[in-house]
Amino acid sequence: MKVDVAVEPRHGSAPVTEELEAPPVARVARRRPTRGQLLGLASLGLISVVPVPFGDFGYFIGQYATIYAILGLSVVVVTGYAGLISLMPYSFAGIGAMATGIAMASWGWPFWLALPFAAGATVPFALFVGVTSVRLKGLYLAIATLTISNALGETFFTWETITGGDSGHFVARPVVGPVDFGGDLAFYLLCLGAVFALLFMVEGLRTSRVGRAMLAVRDNELEAQALGINVAKTKLVAFVLSGMIAGFGGAFLAQLLISVTPNAFQSPFAEATSLLLVTLVAIGGMDRAIGAFVGAIALVVQQQIFNGFEFFFAFVGIYAAITLIAFLLFRPGGLVQVGKILADLTRARPALGLSIIAIILVTNVGGAWLILSLS
Amino acid sequence: MIYAAPVTEVTIFGLSSGAVFALLALGLVLIYRTTGVLNFAHWAIGLMAVVTYVMLTALGLPPQVAAALGLAVGVVSGVLAYRLVFKRLGRGRQVIVILIAIGLAQFYSSVAQFALGFEQFTRLQPWLPAGDVHLGQVAIRASEIITAVAAIVIAFGFLVWFRLSRTGRALRAVAQNKEAAMLAGIDDVKYSSIAWGIGSALAALALLLVMPHSAGEQGGIITTFDVTPFGTLLIPAFGAALVGGLVHLPMALLGGFVFGLSRELLILAPKPWSDLRASMAAILILFLLLLRTERFFATRQELEALE
Repeated sequence: MKVDVAVEPRHGSAPVTEELEAPPVARVARRRPTRGQLLGLASLGLISVVPVPFGDFGYFIGQYATIYAILGLSVVVVTGYAGLISLMPYSFAGIGAMATGIAMASWGWPFWLALPFAAGATVPFALFVGVTSVRLKGLYLAIATLTISNALGETFFTWETITGGDSGHFVARPVVGPVDFGGDLAFYLLCLGAVFALLFMVEGLRTSRVGRAMLAVRDNELEAQALGINVAKTKLVAFVLSGMIAGFGGAFLAQLLISVTPNAFQSPFAEATSLLLVTLVAIGGMDRAIGAFVGAIALVVQQQIFNGFEFFFAFVGIYAAITLIAFLLFRPGGLVQVGKILADLTRARPALGLSIIAIILVTNVGGAWLILSLS
Repeated sequence: MIYAAPVTEVTIFGLSSGAVFALLALGLVLIYRTTGVLNFAHWAIGLMAVVTYVMLTALGLPPQVAAALGLAVGVVSGVLAYRLVFKRLGRGRQVIVILIAIGLAQFYSSVAQFALGFEQFTRLQPWLPAGDVHLGQVAIRASEIITAVAAIVIAFGFLVWFRLSRTGRALRAVAQNKEAAMLAGIDDVKYSSIAWGIGSALAALALLLVMPHSAGEQGGIITTFDVTPFGTLLIPAFGAALVGGLVHLPMALLGGFVFGLSRELLILAPKPWSDLRASMAAILILFLLLLRTERFFATRQELEALE
């Protein structure tokens, strides 16, 4: 029996079931990258140099966007791949940030040791949530993660031994030989390297054995079970992987903020930021790793540019919410899917496709410029 | 040690916050049963009513009129949400439905932020009579008692209406079996809109009872904590709805009081236990979730229809 796939794009990419039947990718001999892949790499490279002309402000936004992209990747794994709604990605990030704070500020660890420690620190929490998720489906899981996020804010993030009180921990950025990551450019490059590495890992996960099991569980749990997939284990793995990615991102978040204070991870700001993360991933395209990256850029860049002007900050919130609802209603594959449709259109009818792309770019960039110059 | 405590005061306070949870939970359950949407935007929709109230009182309208108009705006926000968005979604795409409800919560809370103008605090005029009522030796705010009594009366009135009236019967029919109800000539869209309207009215009423009276005689205060997608009361309201497995209205009413009273009465508990107060709701909710309360209140067929 075929079931309507929740987050699979209605147009464009192949349905998941076909992918499941395809031969394992690992067996295929090293092949040359396709033109699409090269184009994708080129555009990633192009995007990553965009902050350069804007100087330190550009690097700061770039750091923010890349770190939110890392946190978004944790949502891709758990919600996009495994179909489990988690409303607590930012709490996992908070655990990672606190672990980094303790390790670096109190124990004097170097950043490179604190990074895996931050990722590992989320595991017990992720296991706990994962065990609950085996028993709970759909919206019950959404309520559970929301509640756990709230409870962590009341207990874990008010525990002074861990949070270092209201003033939090002070974390210095790492220095390796001649390279001082305290500088904005160097730290931006570090974040960029981390997000690209994770991007390829999460995209690779999609075609791996574990990843395909997740997709199967997302589409139909009973069918997956009949195929011999251990559903409980798959869900647990999804939560642990997602928690580790978020913890990893949290370590970078601690580095970005330099002083890690607990109240950002307490109710109701933790929930609000988690919602923002889920939103940006859904706007970008939930079931592809690149969606988190695209969504993070689209949203965080806007938000940071307008952050100084609260009026427009809320305006961006309204814009993001409307975009989210419109995408989920009409194009559940998000920006990635829209991009694919536009690319196909451009190939078939270049003039029409390019003019539509130009209109979209001009209205968005022009609108932002207009608002900034008016205020 | 137990404080020489104002037990009556704390109990009344618990009853009034319980009544508010109960109102929120009844709205959640009504919308979920009828349309299969767990309304994560419940708080944000209620916020629209409060924002309208703030703006209209600032214009100099009498607070009672402003509250009534705010209630109307809350209803309109909820019905619009159904008409424009959720009507278009089939059931059975649950991840998308949840994400859209979350998007809606962000939308309405952003609109509220926008309208309130990003103040750290916004002052609200009260619309219920101020002053204290003396019960023996303790003085209790009149608005607390009115809130508790009004919420209880409205909640019970709603339950009776839901059981006996023609509209209530139709709503129950849509909830139990949508296809059969449609065959019997019940307009699904109309009754789903009614469910969203009533549910949103209950949310708006709950917020309008709490927020303008949170600081006693000076009225109320809205902080940045309140103008967030889930606010501060939505999680206990989910808990209250879970007592009835998200589908049973009378149990959700009871659940509201369980959450309200347990939260307030823990103040009286001896020291290590009173620290539990902050996480009490979370513990109860996780317990209820693992109990899978929906099993007790809905048949397998109904649950499959909702999923």
